Amino acid sequence: MRLAKRSMLLLVLGCVSLWAGAQTIAIGGIHPLTGGLAADGIQMDNAIQMAIDEINEAGGVLGGTPLSFLSADSTGSAEVGQTEAERLINEGANAIICCFQSSVTTNVATIAEREEVPLVIDVAVMDAILDQGFTYTFRLQPNATAMGVNGANYLKELAEASGEAVDSVVVLFEGTSGFGDSVREAFVAEASELGIVVLDEIGYEPFAVTDLTTEMTKINALRPDVLVVTGYYNDGLLAARNAEDVLLDVKAVFGVAQGTYDQAQFVADAGDLAECFLDSNYHHDASNADALAVLARYESVYGEPMRTSAVFSYQAVYVIADAIERAGSADPPAIRDALAETNFDDFLLPHPGPIVFDETGENVNARPVLMQVQNGSIVQVWPPELAEADPLFPCVSWNR
Amino acid sequence: MTLLGRIPRDYLILIGLVLALLTLPSFLNQFQLSIAILILYWALLGAAWNLMGGYAGQFSFGHAAFYGIGAYTSTMLLTELGLSPWLGMLAGAGLAALFGIAMGYLTFRYGLKGPYFALATFAFAELLRLISSELKFINTSIGIHLPLTGGDSWQRLQFEDNPQNYFYAITILFFVGYLIKISLVHSKLGYYLQAIREDEDAAAALGVNLMRYKVTAVAISGGLTAIGGSFFAQYFFFISPELVFGVPISIDILLGPIIGGTGTIWGPLVGALFVTPLGELTRAFIRTPPGFLSFIEGRSGLDVMLFGAILIVVILFMPNGLVGLGKQLWARVKR
Repeated sequence: MRLAKRSMLLLVLGCVSLWAGAQTIAIGGIHPLTGGLAADGIQMDNAIQMAIDEINEAGGVLGGTPLSFLSADSTGSAEVGQTEAERLINEGANAIICCFQSSVTTNVATIAEREEVPLVIDVAVMDAILDQGFTYTFRLQPNATAMGVNGANYLKELAEASGEAVDSVVVLFEGTSGFGDSVREAFVAEASELGIVVLDEIGYEPFAVTDLTTEMTKINALRPDVLVVTGYYNDGLLAARNAEDVLLDVKAVFGVAQGTYDQAQFVADAGDLAECFLDSNYHHDASNADALAVLARYESVYGEPMRTSAVFSYQAVYVIADAIERAGSADPPAIRDALAETNFDDFLLPHPGPIVFDETGENVNARPVLMQVQNGSIVQVWPPELAEADPLFPCVSWNR
Repeated sequence: MTLLGRIPRDYLILIGLVLALLTLPSFLNQFQLSIAILILYWALLGAAWNLMGGYAGQFSFGHAAFYGIGAYTSTMLLTELGLSPWLGMLAGAGLAALFGIAMGYLTFRYGLKGPYFALATFAFAELLRLISSELKFINTSIGIHLPLTGGDSWQRLQFEDNPQNYFYAITILFFVGYLIKISLVHSKLGYYLQAIREDEDAAAALGVNLMRYKVTAVAISGGLTAIGGSFFAQYFFFISPELVFGVPISIDILLGPIIGGTGTIWGPLVGALFVTPLGELTRAFIRTPPGFLSFIEGRSGLDVMLFGAILIVVILFMPNGLVGLGKQLWARVKR
């Protein structure tokens, strides 16, 4: 009888310790895993899983507690993003990483605020998201203003360094999803400030456009020094092809937050045409060995090159893990307080200083880097402290 | 017959339903409640579409036009003039109704019917999407973030601390929307519309003014749809031309009534009850499938395929929607 009682007690104790051992700290991730943006969303989801696995293999956080991953598919819609955020918080998410799209992000940020669960935005560009006075939301990537302002300045500096005048540009931008338009707005304002004349701003529909030859002919007639392009992958590729078709007479094609000209895929798709294309965009720091190791690991596990968006998701996990350690607790408000005090200098991004969030939640050191296709690979060319090679300017592949 | 017996049964169902709905927030958690909100919201939009697409037989593929007008009107009045979204909603409904009158007049004037009419509505919605993407004063394609003012306010229709109030708000809108719909269906106008749907020439021969009643149906349907658009803006805090004038909205609006049963009072609600949770269920199913199907776990995209396959099956085997199927089964039981 006594034996039975004791073994019963042991059993209960065993269960309790097992249960305690199974305690994890949950990180939620909401990204578009289906639909037109799935290529990025799936990579971002993978990157979070990869970072969590690494942290767990190294012993977890808070002296041995593993992290777990609650993955969710926003399907690219604000509605689903919202219900998924509610679900993740219901299932015990201690922090959330999301969203890739500005439209989904605003809504998830509102829920994070209400439910007091910290949200780290890996990618979402629109400035206004953080204008709402959220206290639980933090953003890693450079916002639209940082993209546009830095893009204009890089162009100006590049021109001065090469001794070539850039007095006028035409901006070709995707004009339907809000992303291209917000970057264009910031770029044009800064360029005018810097004395660069914007001859015209030409919008197009990124997911419907099948030909940009008319636009290119028009641009040729305007005779700008440089063509500035903002948009997504397929439309950027089309712009490159059509620019060659009309032998666009410019000193360079310069992407600003352009989703094509800094991708290895662009070189694979466009071949020699890709040479010389410039893009000022968010990126991993190609001069950082740790960043290159992460990229190599990703490719060996998932079989395709890691996109920049996924690097930011990966980075977000480490920023949260760092906050949990400093908070000494997995309590969401405590993680938020620690995130607000973040000073993370073991980062993989081409930023001039550590990851530090200002009172609105913006990463104060976030900025893009200028890249160029040279001899079939993407290299960082500006600013000089991050440059892997000297920029080629003026240069377009069809005039070489 | 008692007084109660003379009130059409649909009113009693509606009142009972709304009373039952009001108790829901005490049972459901926030996640379940947000799905309930979406169901009522789609039911309201479906009912609006159904007046025109179901009862009047004027199939619309461009309800995003009305929806977007509602979303932008209430939002602009709120951000520029600080006007309460409740009033903004009415203004949006009025504007959408006017737009509906113009659109209806132009299309019916030239005798557009069936697929040609549907294409015309689609073109009008696309027109508004493209124009609004260029308009500076509504911030072009970038869209508008609704200002969050913190705390709860019925006047501003914003509930940060008690999101269940959104459920009460949509329940009120649902009630009003269905009240309008039911009274319309039981009115002379409702019978005219159904006569027009069944045979336009016969209706005209009997003296029904085709233009007048068809345009009226478009205006009322558009006005109700705009109210749904205003609610979307208030609930999701962000609108852009792509989001509110885009093709996906036009499709989502007509999905509920078509699945539920066009030209029926309760079809759009039944459709929303089916379609909205179906997306959640297929997602949950793929996330944690039963043991023998464990190989599909977490395969992104499969849930959407499953969702689509179920919709195809429903449409193939229930041409009259779920309500039609229910009626058939009921008739068989009675026999």
